[in-house]
Amino acid sequence: MNKTVNKVVLKNVRPYVKGKFESPVTMNLADGKWVKESLSDAVEVDAGGAMAIPALFGLGLDFKEPLRDDIYNFKDGEEAMRRGGFFGGLYESSDNAIDDSRKLLAIKQACSASGLSFAFLGAFSVGYKCKDLTEMIELAEDGAVGFGDGNQDATRTRFLRLAMEYGSMTGKRFFFMPLDESLRHHGLVHEGSFSDTLGMKGIPRVAETIAAFRILEMARFLKVPVHFKQVSCGETLKLIEDARGQGVDVTCDVDIYHLLLDDSCLFNLDSHCNVVMPFRSAKDREALWQGIKSGTVNAISMNHDPVLRQDKEVNFEDAVPGAISLEIALPALWKPLTDCVGESRAVELLSKESANIAQVEPSAIEQGFKTDLVLFDNKGETLVEPGLFAGQVRNCPLLGSKLSGKIKGSYLGGRWTEV
Amino acid sequence: MSALEIKHLFGLRGVSKSDIRLILDNAKQFREILERPVKKVPSLRGMTVVNLFFENSTRTRTSFELAEKRLSADTVNFTSSNSSVKKGETLVDTLRNIEAMKIDIVVVRHKGTGVPKFLADNSNAIIVNAGDGAHEHPTQALLDMLTVEEKLGTLEGKNVTIVGDIRHSRVARSNLWGMTTMGAHVTLCGPSTLVPRNTELMSNVTWESDVKKAVSNADAIIALRLQKERMDDALLPSMREYRNTFGITHELLECAKDKVLIMHPGPINRGVELDSEIADGENSVILNQVTNGVAVRMAVLYLLAGGRAHE
Repeated sequence: MNKTVNKVVLKNVRPYVKGKFESPVTMNLADGKWVKESLSDAVEVDAGGAMAIPALFGLGLDFKEPLRDDIYNFKDGEEAMRRGGFFGGLYESSDNAIDDSRKLLAIKQACSASGLSFAFLGAFSVGYKCKDLTEMIELAEDGAVGFGDGNQDATRTRFLRLAMEYGSMTGKRFFFMPLDESLRHHGLVHEGSFSDTLGMKGIPRVAETIAAFRILEMARFLKVPVHFKQVSCGETLKLIEDARGQGVDVTCDVDIYHLLLDDSCLFNLDSHCNVVMPFRSAKDREALWQGIKSGTVNAISMNHDPVLRQDKEVNFEDAVPGAISLEIALPALWKPLTDCVGESRAVELLSKESANIAQVEPSAIEQGFKTDLVLFDNKGETLVEPGLFAGQVRNCPLLGSKLSGKIKGSYLGGRWTEV
Repeated sequence: MSALEIKHLFGLRGVSKSDIRLILDNAKQFREILERPVKKVPSLRGMTVVNLFFENSTRTRTSFELAEKRLSADTVNFTSSNSSVKKGETLVDTLRNIEAMKIDIVVVRHKGTGVPKFLADNSNAIIVNAGDGAHEHPTQALLDMLTVEEKLGTLEGKNVTIVGDIRHSRVARSNLWGMTTMGAHVTLCGPSTLVPRNTELMSNVTWESDVKKAVSNADAIIALRLQKERMDDALLPSMREYRNTFGITHELLECAKDKVLIMHPGPINRGVELDSEIADGENSVILNQVTNGVAVRMAVLYLLAGGRAHE
């Protein structure tokens, strides 16, 4: 486990090249490329007919450093990405607002040693407080690919207008998790039959749609591109489709676990199911899959949000919300996703589409060129157990379940990691 | 003694009719014991019960404590205000520390939904729910059921109407599960801001917005306590309007059966959910509920302890 080398020969592997999986071949990987020449001093791996998929790109990564490096740090995050086959990700921390260039450059510096491709969202308000604008022009010049205030609701609509109006000078996209804090009103779960049966305070769908509508109207008014993170219900997707019809530049993602779980899991009151955007009903889950199929949904986000073990080993309502996903995303999603849209589109959704949103060049597999890949055996099985996860955290809602498919290794940034 | 299917009492949703029957039948026997000059039995001698109350409670805790003492158990009261919880100790650590002192049963009240189950998952003690958030308060519902059976002979086919803040009421939830399991027909009524909107999983009851209709065919009416915080949270405009619309008054009872039972889980806001003359009137069985509370809690503790008591 976790043996890391720079040269590897993958035998009997089916690479995904130019839109399809090829017949089994031998791939010589060195210096970050798929090379023609044979390698004398490389590690040999018999892939057993496994697939080589272009490495994935993760939207919504939060590795907690520097302010909460007691929970997790960049090294843990890098390890999680290598185990899960992610060549890069869009970083935005709920605890560490990147609200000035000094912080942006520091975090870029900290991530640069990994050899992975990170993009960063700058905050549009200082400290995510919706009071003072950040220096968005400088942040953009220093590499912020867009602006977002973590998962905060932009409660002050006039401030939202000014932030988007000022930020429009950069041409960057604004990222929002649409959730009206007033309607949320301390709710932790979806307002539906399960929450009402359990007597738990719920978050209605209108908390999302009202927030989304307000942002879409502002985007239409100011002609600013926006992205919605973690859309959780079909009604919001309808608003997005309507806005696109009116010329609004809006993209969106859905969270991995919103595709896999719904609020029926509440009856177990497992604190790992306490997440930031609540799992909604089975009907909503179906609508999200429909959005994937129709193309309304642009990408699937990971929202990798580590939480200390002791903050999850409490009753549901006292647990810190959040879930990690990088290590298990591919086996968790591969079968349902390919059943829904086929292999080719599944690869696009997990890699290219997410990278496009973050303005990062997607990974590809082509002989003679830079190659980042994840070796995946779709006939294998993954037991989701604590040892799968990097760092000390294990806050995964699928803990204990069996997933179809197994990651055998990854070749990212010129380094092979056997899993 | 037959055995309960359940090992803990988390709530009444999903509890079988035979288990509820067993608890009620045992409670009736304990009710008789409570009328004797010597009200104590040795059933739980040598066992230790901890009353772990993270929320304020006077009557439920007292009722449990009395039930435990009547069964000859050793009892310890633990409240969050006098514990290490105030110093930041986690719930599991609190439980494990208490458990290390070799206790047998934990009676717990907590603001969080599902805390009793969480504690059961993390300990070997028998757990009894004395109220978890707005989720369930099973012993209150059992004592309500015992009171209806005591006065009307059976729950089967009886109409029970619950009026008030259903949305935030653990009493209403436990009653709707328990009473319907025992064959009663339950009608729920309250202001639209205080009833759940999504009732698909609670479809075995009748939801009625007109309180006059709700009480018209009732054999028993349970008025729920109205928390003052509901006004602060803009869920209601005033106590006055609530009383005039949903309060159990003489005028409202003109629409009900003559012998309808009037019940309340206490403490009563007199002149709000229940007028004083109704609370103290001949149809009121509120004090019977209090007595039955001790008997029901004795039955629950006795049956859950099963063979673990030292003879």
